[in-house]
Amino acid sequence: MKYDPETAIPVAREPLTRLLGVRKPLDPRSRFWVGVLAFALPFLAWCAVSYVPFIWHPQVLVADAGDSTVPGEYSYVAEGERVDLDVFIARNRELGAAHAKRATGERVNPIYLQAPHEVGRALYTAFTTPPERAGDYWLHESLLQSCKVIFWGFFWSALFGVPLGVLCGTFPFFERLFEPFVDFVRYMPAPVFGALAVTVLGLAEEPKIAVIFIGTFFQMVLIVSNTTRAVDASLLHAAQTLGANKRQLVWHVVVPGALPGLYRDMRILIGWAWTYLVVAELIGEKSGLSAFIYQQQRYRHFDNVYAAIVIIGVVGLCTDQFLALLGRYLFPWETGQTKLVRMVRAMRRALPQRARLANT
Amino acid sequence: MTDDRIALPSYLDKPPEVAAYFEAIEKRKVVLNIEHLRREFAAAEGTLVALSDISFKVRKREFISVIGPSGCGKSTLIRIVAGLEDPSAGTVSVDGVPVAGPGPDRGMVFQNYTLFPWLTVRKNVLFGPKMKGTRNDKALASADEWLKMVGLSDFADVYPAQLSGGMKQRVAIARALANDPRILLMDEPFGALDAQTRCSMQEHLLRIWEAADVTVLFITHDLDEAIYLSDRIVVLGARPGRILEIIDVPVSRPRSQEQLLSGHFLATKKRLEELIYRRDTAAAAEDVTHA
Repeated sequence: MKYDPETAIPVAREPLTRLLGVRKPLDPRSRFWVGVLAFALPFLAWCAVSYVPFIWHPQVLVADAGDSTVPGEYSYVAEGERVDLDVFIARNRELGAAHAKRATGERVNPIYLQAPHEVGRALYTAFTTPPERAGDYWLHESLLQSCKVIFWGFFWSALFGVPLGVLCGTFPFFERLFEPFVDFVRYMPAPVFGALAVTVLGLAEEPKIAVIFIGTFFQMVLIVSNTTRAVDASLLHAAQTLGANKRQLVWHVVVPGALPGLYRDMRILIGWAWTYLVVAELIGEKSGLSAFIYQQQRYRHFDNVYAAIVIIGVVGLCTDQFLALLGRYLFPWETGQTKLVRMVRAMRRALPQRARLANT
Repeated sequence: MTDDRIALPSYLDKPPEVAAYFEAIEKRKVVLNIEHLRREFAAAEGTLVALSDISFKVRKREFISVIGPSGCGKSTLIRIVAGLEDPSAGTVSVDGVPVAGPGPDRGMVFQNYTLFPWLTVRKNVLFGPKMKGTRNDKALASADEWLKMVGLSDFADVYPAQLSGGMKQRVAIARALANDPRILLMDEPFGALDAQTRCSMQEHLLRIWEAADVTVLFITHDLDEAIYLSDRIVVLGARPGRILEIIDVPVSRPRSQEQLLSGHFLATKKRLEELIYRRDTAAAAEDVTHA
């Protein structure tokens, strides 16, 4: 059997040599823990800045403004306000000079840097508390709206983009016919079509879907066409010497050969769709998570803003991980993961003989 | 210095059983006929002639090798026969019908295996029959038979990525033969394999060739391989690629590895070396003087 670094048992070595080899794959256990660290490190940094006093904390939340009758340049310092540390010190100097009661307060971070527990709480309460104004959307409603826009935008884009890309990657004629123009449009930022989309398609979801479509479609055609072109030409030659005609070449060699690559492309492009989402949702009538974030920012509920941002990240990560996992089963010839194939085979065997012959 | 060279027979004088064998071949039908084939490429310094006036015939059940130094156009030749490239002049015909483009009558085995990675071994072998629309159960039986012939019955449901190089090439041979071609074209099929595997693959191929009704056109740069496998060897020279000589191999069949040291084998090898290497060095010397 071939040497496979994934399964080979490593020789015990010093941890540092083991972890920091040049292009040396990590063993599965280290892989897992280093992956955990990838999230733990930023989180710990966030906790440190939020909870350890004096790491940053550039402001003071005034608990008692002291003697507010004392006049001065900084007399605006009032109870319950966040003021910069130097302003607070200057005010106390004024109060001290007048021999009046000094202001007290606690050092805090600016309102836009919320502590982990506050965002955590917001993540929970955002789903449970009704919106501030009647008619506004709940967080889960906003999330659903966003997902719907992404889904339809990406659906239409893939429905036309993938076949067109495969066509361009297969026939140089279509490559020459479509790619120069696609290349031209690709450089126009999708949001510039926003106003146009609203005029043509109205204020509801359609223009947003259109912006996502425009943002991903043109890139998709080029990426898909490249992936299709990467299918080994010698496989096409082999198929031709086995008697495949033009249509069979496309359906039995080009398409299956490009499929795993196309699947990876789609995973990357879904990420792009999410970046266009934020712009798309702010055109016409604001909607979805972006509208939620926009509104919460105006109410200065930054914990909710973070909650919504984290949710976008979590949804994106989960989608990608799910698709990665699914891919392992869908393309067993690349991964050696044959569980799904074996299941399908078993199901086929269970079918009556006649149907089996028709299917295979 | 003592001269301890062995006296070799001439490569031209055949033992009686070999002579009879060649007489029998001469009576068979011509499967592949190559006539005055020429191939030119446009290059920066004018047209480059890759192949010039190539003509030879391959008869039914014959095993013919094409050998030559690198750059002699042997791969171009087999790709033209396969229909993957067009000749600049001349014709290639199979059973008297001129070829235009690739077709299932000329099965091909490539150096880099070219198995479809998304198909299991059995489905790779079934690819040709499936394209032709052969009935499923019939094709399946024949595919399994070919897999048995190349000794890979146990690997029918495995993906190509899980096979070694030699196994992959055996699948490729089974795949080409399951399509029932008139002639099997092999383009340096064992070139990427290590010496041991190459040796066992030659055995495999000979056994298949003896058992099945196959005509083979085989490209190689390995002299031993060419002599060991072939009935006849077409020797090409480089710049332009042209036929230097067509040699009838005077080694009797069935072949075995011991024959690699027989007089007739060595005589043939000596002749091939003269044709290829001496000419190569002579040509190189000529190039230098011209420059």
